[in-house]
Amino acid sequence: MNYAIETSGLEYRASRRFEIRDLNLRVRSGAIYGFLGPNGSGKTTTIRLLLGMLRAQRGAITVLGRQVPGEMARILAETGYVPERPHLYPYLSLEEAIHFHAAFYPGFDVAYAAELRQGFGLPLDQKLAKLSKGEMGKLHILLVLAQRPRLLVLDEPTDGLDPVVRRDVLAALLDFCSQGTATVFISSHLVHELERICDWVGVLDDGKLVVELPMQSFKNGIKRIRISNPPSLIGDTPFVLLQREMAGTEQVWVVRGWQPPMVQWFEGAGAGVREIVDLDLEEGFVELLRSSRGSRF
Amino acid sequence: MYTQVLKAQWLTARTAVMLLVVLAFALPLLVVTYGGNLEGAPSGRVATWLFAAQRIGVLIPGLALLLGLLLGLGAWAPDHAGNHVYALSLPVPRGMYVLLRFAAGATLLAVPVAALGIGAAVAVASVKLPSGVHAYPLELTARFALAALVCYAIFFAISIATRRAVLATLGVVCGILLADLLLVALGVESSVTQSVFYLLTTWPGPLSILMGRWALFDV
Repeated sequence: MNYAIETSGLEYRASRRFEIRDLNLRVRSGAIYGFLGPNGSGKTTTIRLLLGMLRAQRGAITVLGRQVPGEMARILAETGYVPERPHLYPYLSLEEAIHFHAAFYPGFDVAYAAELRQGFGLPLDQKLAKLSKGEMGKLHILLVLAQRPRLLVLDEPTDGLDPVVRRDVLAALLDFCSQGTATVFISSHLVHELERICDWVGVLDDGKLVVELPMQSFKNGIKRIRISNPPSLIGDTPFVLLQREMAGTEQVWVVRGWQPPMVQWFEGAGAGVREIVDLDLEEGFVELLRSSRGSRF
Repeated sequence: MYTQVLKAQWLTARTAVMLLVVLAFALPLLVVTYGGNLEGAPSGRVATWLFAAQRIGVLIPGLALLLGLLLGLGAWAPDHAGNHVYALSLPVPRGMYVLLRFAAGATLLAVPVAALGIGAAVAVASVKLPSGVHAYPLELTARFALAALVCYAIFFAISIATRRAVLATLGVVCGILLADLLLVALGVESSVTQSVFYLLTTWPGPLSILMGRWALFDV
Protein backbone atom coordinates (compact mmCIF):
# COMPACT_ATOMS: atom_id res chain seq x y z
CA MET A 1 0.00 0.00 0.00
CA ASN A 2 1.22 3.46 -0.93
CA TYR A 3 0.92 5.94 1.92
CA ALA A 4 1.30 9.70 1.62
CA ILE A 5 1.79 9.92 5.39
CA GLU A 6 2.96 7.14 7.62
CA THR A 7 4.03 7.35 11.24
CA SER A 8 5.07 4.49 13.46
CA GLY A 9 5.44 4.57 17.21
CA LEU A 10 5.53 8.36 17.21
CA GLU A 11 6.06 9.90 20.61
CA TYR A 12 6.37 13.53 21.57
CA ARG A 13 6.15 14.98 25.03
CA ALA A 14 5.15 18.64 24.92
CA SER A 15 4.73 19.04 28.68
CA ARG A 16 4.05 17.01 31.79
CA ARG A 17 0.37 17.16 31.04
CA PHE A 18 0.36 16.45 27.33
CA GLU A 19 2.09 14.00 25.05
CA ILE A 20 1.58 12.21 21.75
CA ARG A 21 1.72 8.50 22.49
CA ASP A 22 2.55 5.67 20.11
CA LEU A 23 0.91 7.34 17.14
CA ASN A 24 0.58 5.10 14.10
CA LEU A 25 -1.05 7.05 11.27
CA ARG A 26 -1.50 5.70 7.79
CA VAL A 27 -2.86 8.11 5.19
CA ARG A 28 -3.30 6.51 1.79
CA SER A 29 -2.13 8.42 -1.27
CA GLY A 30 -5.04 10.20 -2.91
CA ALA A 31 -7.23 10.04 0.18
CA ILE A 32 -9.04 12.95 1.77
CA TYR A 33 -8.25 12.14 5.36
CA GLY A 34 -10.16 13.81 8.15
CA PHE A 35 -8.17 14.14 11.34
CA LEU A 36 -10.78 14.55 14.03
CA GLY A 37 -10.30 15.35 17.64
CA PRO A 38 -11.51 17.66 20.38
CA ASN A 39 -9.63 20.88 21.15
CA GLY A 40 -6.31 20.13 22.78
CA SER A 41 -6.23 16.52 21.60
CA GLY A 42 -2.91 16.99 19.77
CA LYS A 43 -3.98 17.57 16.16
CA THR A 44 -1.84 20.67 15.63
CA THR A 45 1.12 19.08 17.43
CA THR A 46 0.83 16.03 15.18
CA ILE A 47 0.75 18.21 12.08
CA ARG A 48 3.82 20.13 13.26
CA LEU A 49 5.59 16.83 13.80
CA LEU A 50 4.63 15.69 10.30
CA LEU A 51 5.98 18.90 8.79
CA GLY A 52 9.24 18.87 10.72
CA MET A 53 8.43 21.92 12.83
CA LEU A 54 8.72 19.83 15.97
CA ARG A 55 11.09 16.93 16.51
CA ALA A 56 9.63 13.65 17.74
CA GLN A 57 11.32 12.04 20.70
CA ARG A 58 10.68 8.57 19.33
CA GLY A 59 9.26 6.89 16.24
CA ALA A 60 9.49 7.41 12.51
CA ILE A 61 7.64 9.67 10.08
CA THR A 62 7.47 9.27 6.33
CA VAL A 63 5.73 11.88 4.20
CA LEU A 64 5.40 11.42 0.43
CA GLY A 65 7.85 8.54 0.68
CA ARG A 66 10.53 10.68 2.33
CA GLN A 67 11.87 10.69 5.84
CA VAL A 68 11.05 13.48 8.28
CA PRO A 69 13.04 15.54 9.21
CA GLY A 70 15.92 14.46 6.95
CA GLU A 71 14.30 15.39 3.63
CA MET A 72 12.12 18.21 4.87
CA ALA A 73 12.83 20.75 2.12
CA ARG A 74 11.80 18.25 -0.58
CA ILE A 75 8.69 17.27 1.33
CA LEU A 76 7.66 20.89 1.87
CA ALA A 77 8.20 21.66 -1.82
CA GLU A 78 5.34 19.26 -2.57
CA THR A 79 3.18 20.09 0.44
CA GLY A 80 0.68 22.87 0.90
CA TYR A 81 0.14 23.81 4.52
CA VAL A 82 -2.60 25.95 5.99
CA PRO A 83 -1.91 26.52 9.69
CA GLU A 84 -4.42 26.93 12.44
CA ARG A 85 -3.72 30.67 12.79
CA PRO A 86 -2.83 33.13 10.03
CA HIS A 87 0.93 33.43 9.76
CA LEU A 88 1.51 35.48 6.62
CA TYR A 89 3.31 38.81 6.91
CA PRO A 90 0.57 41.39 7.61
CA TYR A 91 2.44 44.34 6.08
CA LEU A 92 2.42 42.75 2.61
CA SER A 93 -0.36 43.47 0.15
CA LEU A 94 -2.25 40.50 -1.25
CA GLU A 95 -0.30 40.78 -4.50
CA GLU A 96 3.01 40.94 -2.64
CA ALA A 97 2.05 37.94 -0.51
CA ILE A 98 1.29 35.90 -3.64
CA HIS A 99 4.62 36.90 -5.23
CA PHE A 100 6.51 36.14 -2.02
CA HIS A 101 4.94 32.70 -1.71
CA ALA A 102 5.35 31.90 -5.42
CA ALA A 103 9.08 32.62 -5.27
CA PHE A 104 9.59 29.57 -3.05
CA TYR A 105 7.61 27.13 -5.19
CA PRO A 106 8.89 26.60 -8.74
CA GLY A 107 5.64 24.91 -9.74
CA PHE A 108 3.42 27.75 -8.47
CA ASP A 109 0.54 28.14 -10.91
CA VAL A 110 0.15 31.90 -11.33
CA ALA A 111 -2.82 31.58 -13.68
CA TYR A 112 -4.66 29.31 -11.25
CA ALA A 113 -3.87 31.72 -8.41
CA ALA A 114 -5.39 34.58 -10.45
CA GLU A 115 -8.45 32.45 -11.21
CA LEU A 116 -8.92 31.56 -7.54
CA ARG A 117 -8.40 35.17 -6.49
CA GLN A 118 -11.13 36.33 -8.84
CA GLY A 119 -13.41 33.54 -7.71
CA PHE A 120 -12.86 34.46 -4.07
CA GLY A 121 -13.22 38.19 -4.81
CA LEU A 122 -9.96 39.13 -3.08
CA PRO A 123 -8.62 42.66 -3.74
CA LEU A 124 -5.00 42.61 -4.99
CA ASP A 125 -3.87 45.85 -3.40
CA GLN A 126 -5.28 45.22 0.08
CA LYS A 127 -2.77 44.87 2.92
CA LEU A 128 -3.07 41.53 4.68
CA ALA A 129 -3.47 43.32 8.01
CA LYS A 130 -6.69 44.82 6.65
CA LEU A 131 -8.16 41.54 5.39
CA SER A 132 -11.12 40.04 7.21
CA LYS A 133 -10.80 36.61 8.77
CA GLY A 134 -12.75 35.12 5.88
CA GLU A 135 -10.55 36.81 3.27
CA MET A 136 -7.43 35.61 5.08
CA GLY A 137 -8.80 32.06 5.10
CA LYS A 138 -9.44 32.27 1.36
CA LEU A 139 -5.95 33.65 0.74
CA HIS A 140 -4.36 30.75 2.60
CA ILE A 141 -6.31 28.25 0.51
CA LEU A 142 -5.46 30.17 -2.68
CA LEU A 143 -1.74 30.07 -1.91
CA VAL A 144 -1.56 26.37 -1.13
CA LEU A 145 -3.78 25.27 -4.01
CA ALA A 146 -1.78 27.33 -6.52
CA GLN A 147 1.34 25.47 -5.36
CA ARG A 148 -0.22 22.41 -7.04
CA PRO A 149 0.93 20.27 -4.13
CA ARG A 150 0.88 16.48 -3.92
CA LEU A 151 -0.13 16.76 -0.29
CA LEU A 152 -2.35 19.33 1.38
CA VAL A 153 -2.16 19.64 5.15
CA LEU A 154 -4.93 21.83 6.48
CA ASP A 155 -5.13 22.58 10.18
CA GLU A 156 -8.66 23.69 11.02
CA PRO A 157 -8.83 25.67 7.76
CA THR A 158 -12.39 26.85 8.20
CA ASP A 159 -12.41 27.39 11.94
CA GLY A 160 -14.10 30.69 12.74
CA LEU A 161 -15.21 31.35 9.16
CA ASP A 162 -18.80 32.19 8.35
CA PRO A 163 -20.86 29.56 6.48
CA VAL A 164 -20.59 31.35 3.11
CA VAL A 165 -16.79 31.60 3.23
CA ARG A 166 -16.57 28.04 4.57
CA ARG A 167 -18.58 26.83 1.61
CA ASP A 168 -16.36 28.75 -0.84
CA VAL A 169 -13.20 27.34 0.72
CA LEU A 170 -14.46 23.76 0.75
CA ALA A 171 -15.73 24.09 -2.82
CA ALA A 172 -12.30 25.27 -3.99
CA LEU A 173 -10.72 22.40 -2.11
CA LEU A 174 -13.01 19.80 -3.64
CA ASP A 175 -12.52 21.31 -7.09
CA PHE A 176 -8.76 21.01 -6.66
CA CYS A 177 -9.05 17.42 -5.47
CA SER A 178 -11.17 16.53 -8.50
CA GLN A 179 -8.41 17.81 -10.81
CA GLY A 180 -5.73 15.40 -9.67
CA THR A 181 -4.55 12.85 -7.21
CA ALA A 182 -3.45 15.05 -4.33
CA THR A 183 -3.75 13.68 -0.82
CA VAL A 184 -5.56 15.92 1.65
CA PHE A 185 -4.98 15.73 5.39
CA ILE A 186 -7.48 17.98 7.09
CA SER A 187 -7.79 18.41 10.81
CA SER A 188 -10.95 19.70 12.40
CA HIS A 189 -13.23 19.42 15.35
CA LEU A 190 -16.16 20.28 13.08
CA VAL A 191 -17.40 16.78 12.46
CA HIS A 192 -20.12 17.56 9.91
CA GLU A 193 -17.66 19.47 7.76
CA LEU A 194 -15.42 16.43 7.39
CA GLU A 195 -18.36 14.12 6.83
CA ARG A 196 -19.06 15.91 3.56
CA ILE A 197 -15.62 15.73 2.05
CA CYS A 198 -13.48 12.99 3.61
CA ASP A 199 -13.14 9.38 2.60
CA TRP A 200 -10.97 8.37 5.56
CA VAL A 201 -11.10 9.47 9.14
CA GLY A 202 -8.76 9.24 12.10
CA VAL A 203 -9.85 10.23 15.58
CA LEU A 204 -7.30 11.55 18.04
CA ASP A 205 -7.97 12.03 21.71
CA ASP A 206 -5.51 13.05 24.40
CA GLY A 207 -2.55 12.42 22.10
CA LYS A 208 -3.67 8.93 21.13
CA LEU A 209 -5.22 7.63 17.93
CA VAL A 210 -8.58 6.17 18.91
CA VAL A 211 -9.59 4.86 15.53
CA GLU A 212 -8.61 5.11 11.85
CA LEU A 213 -10.98 3.77 9.24
CA PRO A 214 -12.80 4.60 5.98
CA MET A 215 -15.44 7.28 6.43
CA GLN A 216 -18.13 4.95 5.12
CA SER A 217 -17.35 2.37 7.81
CA PHE A 218 -17.31 5.12 10.40
CA LYS A 219 -20.68 6.47 9.30
CA ASN A 220 -22.42 3.14 8.79
CA GLY A 221 -20.71 1.04 11.41
CA ILE A 222 -21.69 2.91 14.56
CA LYS A 223 -25.18 2.06 15.81
CA ARG A 224 -27.31 2.57 18.87
CA ILE A 225 -29.16 -0.66 19.65
CA ARG A 226 -32.02 -1.04 22.11
CA ILE A 227 -32.03 -4.51 23.64
CA SER A 228 -34.51 -6.36 25.80
CA ASN A 229 -33.33 -9.15 28.14
CA PRO A 230 -29.69 -8.12 27.79
CA PRO A 231 -27.08 -10.76 28.62
CA SER A 232 -25.46 -10.27 32.03
CA LEU A 233 -22.14 -11.66 30.82
CA ILE A 234 -20.99 -10.27 27.51
CA GLY A 235 -17.80 -12.16 26.57
CA ASP A 236 -16.57 -11.98 22.97
CA THR A 237 -18.67 -9.90 20.60
CA PRO A 238 -18.46 -9.70 16.80
CA PHE A 239 -18.64 -5.89 17.14
CA VAL A 240 -16.90 -3.35 19.35
CA LEU A 241 -19.02 -2.31 22.29
CA LEU A 242 -18.49 1.40 22.90
CA GLN A 243 -21.18 2.21 25.42
CA ARG A 244 -23.85 0.43 27.48
CA GLU A 245 -26.61 2.21 29.39
CA MET A 246 -29.72 1.18 31.23
CA ALA A 247 -33.03 2.42 29.79
CA GLY A 248 -35.77 1.15 32.10
CA THR A 249 -35.89 -2.63 31.79
CA GLU A 250 -33.94 -2.48 28.55
CA GLN A 251 -30.40 -1.50 27.69
CA VAL A 252 -29.04 0.78 25.00
CA TRP A 253 -25.76 -0.30 23.47
CA VAL A 254 -23.56 1.78 21.21
CA VAL A 255 -21.46 -0.46 18.98
CA ARG A 256 -18.88 -0.04 16.23
CA GLY A 257 -18.29 -2.37 13.29
CA TRP A 258 -21.93 -3.36 13.09
CA GLN A 259 -23.22 -5.67 10.33
CA PRO A 260 -26.90 -6.77 10.04
CA PRO A 261 -26.14 -10.52 10.50
CA MET A 262 -24.81 -9.69 13.98
CA VAL A 263 -28.43 -9.66 15.21
CA GLN A 264 -27.99 -13.43 15.52
CA TRP A 265 -25.40 -12.93 18.24
CA PHE A 266 -28.06 -11.27 20.44
CA GLU A 267 -30.56 -14.01 19.66
CA GLY A 268 -27.95 -16.60 20.62
CA ALA A 269 -27.46 -14.79 23.93
CA GLY A 270 -31.20 -14.79 24.64
CA ALA A 271 -31.62 -11.05 24.05
CA GLY A 272 -34.01 -9.30 21.72
CA VAL A 273 -33.04 -6.45 19.42
CA ARG A 274 -35.84 -3.86 19.61
CA GLU A 275 -34.39 -1.05 17.58
CA ILE A 276 -31.23 -0.24 15.60
CA VAL A 277 -30.49 3.45 15.06
CA ASP A 278 -27.80 4.85 12.75
CA LEU A 279 -25.72 7.42 14.58
CA ASP A 280 -24.63 10.43 12.61
CA LEU A 281 -20.94 11.22 12.49
CA GLU A 282 -21.04 13.64 15.38
CA GLU A 283 -22.84 11.22 17.67
CA GLY A 284 -20.47 8.46 16.64
CA PHE A 285 -17.51 10.73 17.30
CA VAL A 286 -18.78 11.60 20.77
CA GLU A 287 -19.41 7.93 21.60
CA LEU A 288 -15.92 7.01 20.40
CA LEU A 289 -14.39 9.65 22.63
CA ARG A 290 -16.48 8.57 25.61
CA SER A 291 -15.42 4.96 25.16
CA SER A 292 -11.75 5.89 24.70
CA ARG A 293 -11.88 7.86 27.94
CA GLY A 294 -13.10 4.74 29.76
CA SER A 295 -16.64 5.74 30.59
CA ARG A 296 -17.92 2.23 29.83
CA PHE A 297 -19.46 0.42 32.74
CA MET B 1 13.60 34.03 -3.43
CA TYR B 2 16.25 36.54 -2.44
CA THR B 3 14.48 39.36 -4.27
CA GLN B 4 11.21 38.62 -2.52
CA VAL B 5 12.83 38.39 0.92
CA LEU B 6 14.67 41.64 0.23
CA LYS B 7 11.44 43.30 -0.83
CA ALA B 8 9.63 42.05 2.26
CA GLN B 9 12.46 43.23 4.50
CA TRP B 10 12.52 46.61 2.80
CA LEU B 11 8.81 47.06 3.50
CA THR B 12 9.35 46.56 7.23
CA ALA B 13 12.57 48.56 7.52
CA ARG B 14 12.10 51.37 5.02
CA THR B 15 11.21 54.09 7.55
CA ALA B 16 14.27 53.34 9.67
CA VAL B 17 16.50 53.02 6.61
CA MET B 18 15.35 56.33 5.15
CA LEU B 19 15.90 58.11 8.47
CA LEU B 20 19.39 56.64 8.68
CA VAL B 21 20.06 57.63 5.06
CA VAL B 22 19.35 61.26 5.96
CA LEU B 23 21.58 61.06 9.04
CA ALA B 24 24.37 59.27 7.15
CA PHE B 25 24.31 61.88 4.40
CA ALA B 26 24.16 64.80 6.83
CA LEU B 27 26.92 63.77 9.26
CA PRO B 28 29.92 64.37 6.94
CA LEU B 29 28.36 67.65 5.83
CA LEU B 30 28.20 68.80 9.46
CA VAL B 31 31.99 68.72 9.51
CA VAL B 32 32.31 71.36 6.83
CA THR B 33 29.81 73.73 8.42
CA TYR B 34 32.72 74.76 10.63
CA GLY B 35 34.36 76.44 7.64
CA GLY B 36 34.65 75.81 3.94
CA ASN B 37 37.95 77.48 3.10
CA LEU B 38 40.99 76.57 5.14
CA GLU B 39 43.59 77.29 2.50
CA GLY B 40 46.22 79.51 4.05
CA ALA B 41 44.40 79.59 7.40
CA PRO B 42 46.54 79.91 10.51
CA SER B 43 47.55 76.57 12.03
CA GLY B 44 45.60 77.29 15.22
CA ARG B 45 42.35 77.60 13.27
CA VAL B 46 43.10 74.44 11.29
CA ALA B 47 43.75 72.52 14.51
CA THR B 48 40.47 73.76 16.01
CA TRP B 49 38.65 72.83 12.81
CA LEU B 50 40.19 69.34 12.79
CA PHE B 51 39.32 68.86 16.45
CA ALA B 52 35.67 69.82 15.78
CA ALA B 53 35.56 67.59 12.72
CA GLN B 54 36.86 64.64 14.73
CA ARG B 55 34.30 65.24 17.47
CA ILE B 56 31.56 64.94 14.86
CA GLY B 57 33.32 61.81 13.58
CA VAL B 58 32.57 60.13 16.92
CA LEU B 59 28.90 60.07 15.90
CA ILE B 60 29.63 57.91 12.86
CA PRO B 61 30.31 54.62 14.74
CA GLY B 62 27.20 55.44 16.79
CA LEU B 63 25.26 55.61 13.55
CA ALA B 64 26.75 52.27 12.45
CA LEU B 65 25.64 50.76 15.77
CA LEU B 66 22.12 52.17 15.37
CA LEU B 67 21.93 50.92 11.77
CA GLY B 68 23.04 47.42 12.79
CA LEU B 69 20.65 47.42 15.73
CA LEU B 70 17.58 48.47 13.74
CA LEU B 71 18.18 46.19 10.77
CA GLY B 72 19.45 43.26 12.84
CA LEU B 73 16.52 43.22 15.23
CA GLY B 74 14.05 44.07 12.47
CA ALA B 75 15.17 41.19 10.25
CA TRP B 76 13.26 38.62 12.31
CA ALA B 77 10.39 40.73 13.59
CA PRO B 78 7.80 39.50 11.02
CA ASP B 79 8.74 35.86 11.63
CA HIS B 80 8.69 36.27 15.40
CA ALA B 81 5.16 37.66 15.11
CA GLY B 82 3.98 34.47 13.39
CA ASN B 83 6.03 32.16 15.65
CA HIS B 84 8.16 31.30 12.60
CA VAL B 85 5.42 28.98 11.32
CA TYR B 86 5.43 30.45 7.81
CA ALA B 87 9.21 30.40 7.54
CA LEU B 88 9.32 26.80 8.73
CA SER B 89 6.71 25.75 6.20
CA LEU B 90 8.70 27.12 3.26
CA PRO B 91 10.59 24.52 1.23
CA VAL B 92 14.09 25.76 1.96
CA PRO B 93 16.55 24.39 4.49
CA ARG B 94 16.60 26.44 7.68
CA GLY B 95 20.20 27.50 7.14
CA MET B 96 19.34 28.77 3.68
CA TYR B 97 16.43 30.81 5.00
CA VAL B 98 18.65 32.38 7.67
CA LEU B 99 21.15 33.21 4.95
CA LEU B 100 18.41 34.78 2.81
CA ARG B 101 17.26 36.95 5.71
CA PHE B 102 20.83 37.91 6.56
CA ALA B 103 21.71 38.74 2.97
CA ALA B 104 18.57 40.84 2.52
CA GLY B 105 19.31 42.88 5.65
CA ALA B 106 22.95 43.25 4.68
CA THR B 107 21.84 44.56 1.29
CA LEU B 108 19.71 47.20 2.98
CA LEU B 109 22.78 48.34 4.92
CA ALA B 110 24.23 49.43 1.60
CA VAL B 111 21.72 52.29 1.27
CA PRO B 112 22.84 54.32 4.34
CA VAL B 113 26.46 53.35 3.62
CA ALA B 114 26.12 54.80 0.13
CA ALA B 115 24.49 57.91 1.62
CA LEU B 116 27.44 58.35 3.96
CA GLY B 117 29.84 57.88 1.03
CA ILE B 118 28.00 60.50 -1.04
CA GLY B 119 27.80 62.86 1.96
CA ALA B 120 31.53 62.44 2.54
CA ALA B 121 32.31 63.06 -1.12
CA VAL B 122 30.16 66.22 -1.14
CA ALA B 123 31.79 67.39 2.11
CA VAL B 124 35.28 66.85 0.71
CA ALA B 125 34.41 68.66 -2.52
CA SER B 126 33.07 71.67 -0.64
CA VAL B 127 36.15 72.37 1.46
CA LYS B 128 39.55 73.72 0.51
CA LEU B 129 42.09 71.93 2.67
CA PRO B 130 45.40 73.43 3.73
CA SER B 131 48.55 71.54 2.87
CA GLY B 132 49.25 68.67 5.23
CA VAL B 133 45.56 67.92 5.87
CA HIS B 134 44.02 65.05 3.92
CA ALA B 135 40.50 63.77 3.32
CA TYR B 136 39.61 60.10 3.70
CA PRO B 137 36.10 59.71 2.29
CA LEU B 138 36.58 56.19 0.88
CA GLU B 139 38.35 54.90 3.98
CA LEU B 140 35.66 56.35 6.24
CA THR B 141 32.86 54.85 4.13
CA ALA B 142 34.52 51.44 4.02
CA ARG B 143 35.04 51.48 7.77
CA PHE B 144 31.45 52.57 8.33
CA ALA B 145 30.24 49.72 6.10
CA LEU B 146 32.31 47.18 8.01
CA ALA B 147 31.22 48.51 11.41
CA ALA B 148 27.56 48.50 10.37
CA LEU B 149 27.91 44.94 9.06
CA VAL B 150 29.52 43.74 12.30
CA CYS B 151 26.81 45.38 14.42
CA TYR B 152 24.11 44.03 12.11
CA ALA B 153 25.53 40.49 12.40
CA ILE B 154 25.63 40.71 16.20
CA PHE B 155 22.06 41.96 16.55
CA PHE B 156 20.82 39.58 13.84
CA ALA B 157 22.27 36.69 15.86
CA ILE B 158 20.77 37.99 19.11
CA SER B 159 17.40 38.46 17.50
CA ILE B 160 17.26 34.94 16.03
CA ALA B 161 18.15 33.33 19.34
CA THR B 162 15.56 31.42 21.26
CA ARG B 163 14.11 32.87 24.45
CA ARG B 164 16.23 30.40 26.40
CA ALA B 165 19.42 31.63 24.71
CA VAL B 166 18.49 35.26 25.34
CA LEU B 167 17.81 34.49 29.00
CA ALA B 168 21.13 32.64 29.24
CA THR B 169 22.95 35.66 27.76
CA LEU B 170 21.18 38.00 30.15
CA GLY B 171 22.12 35.65 32.96
CA VAL B 172 25.79 35.85 31.99
CA VAL B 173 25.61 39.68 31.86
CA CYS B 174 23.94 39.83 35.27
CA GLY B 175 26.51 37.34 36.58
CA ILE B 176 29.35 39.59 35.42
CA LEU B 177 27.76 42.64 37.06
CA LEU B 178 27.20 40.73 40.31
CA ALA B 179 30.79 39.46 40.24
CA ASP B 180 31.92 43.06 39.88
CA LEU B 181 29.83 44.18 42.86
CA LEU B 182 31.26 41.30 44.87
CA LEU B 183 34.82 42.28 43.95
CA VAL B 184 34.12 45.89 44.95
CA ALA B 185 32.67 44.69 48.27
CA LEU B 186 35.79 42.59 48.88
CA GLY B 187 38.00 45.57 48.12
CA VAL B 188 39.56 44.00 45.02
CA GLU B 189 40.56 46.58 42.42
CA SER B 190 40.10 44.40 39.33
CA SER B 191 36.80 44.89 37.46
CA VAL B 192 35.21 42.07 35.45
CA THR B 193 32.97 44.48 33.53
CA GLN B 194 35.98 46.52 32.54
CA SER B 195 37.89 43.43 31.45
CA VAL B 196 34.97 42.18 29.34
CA PHE B 197 34.53 45.64 27.80
CA TYR B 198 38.24 45.68 27.03
CA LEU B 199 38.06 42.24 25.45
CA LEU B 200 35.12 43.26 23.25
CA THR B 201 36.50 46.60 22.16
CA THR B 202 40.14 45.81 21.47
CA TRP B 203 41.34 43.73 18.57
CA PRO B 204 40.29 40.97 17.92
CA GLY B 205 37.13 41.84 19.87
CA PRO B 206 34.07 42.20 17.61
CA LEU B 207 33.40 45.82 18.68
CA SER B 208 36.97 47.03 18.14
CA ILE B 209 35.88 48.35 14.74
CA LEU B 210 33.76 50.97 16.54
CA MET B 211 36.65 52.32 18.55
CA GLY B 212 39.52 54.61 17.61
CA ARG B 213 39.44 57.70 15.42
CA TRP B 214 36.72 58.18 12.84
CA ALA B 215 38.02 61.16 10.95
CA LEU B 216 36.97 62.32 7.52
CA PHE B 217 39.82 64.84 7.62
CA ASP B 218 43.16 64.24 9.25
CA VAL B 219 46.78 65.08 8.88
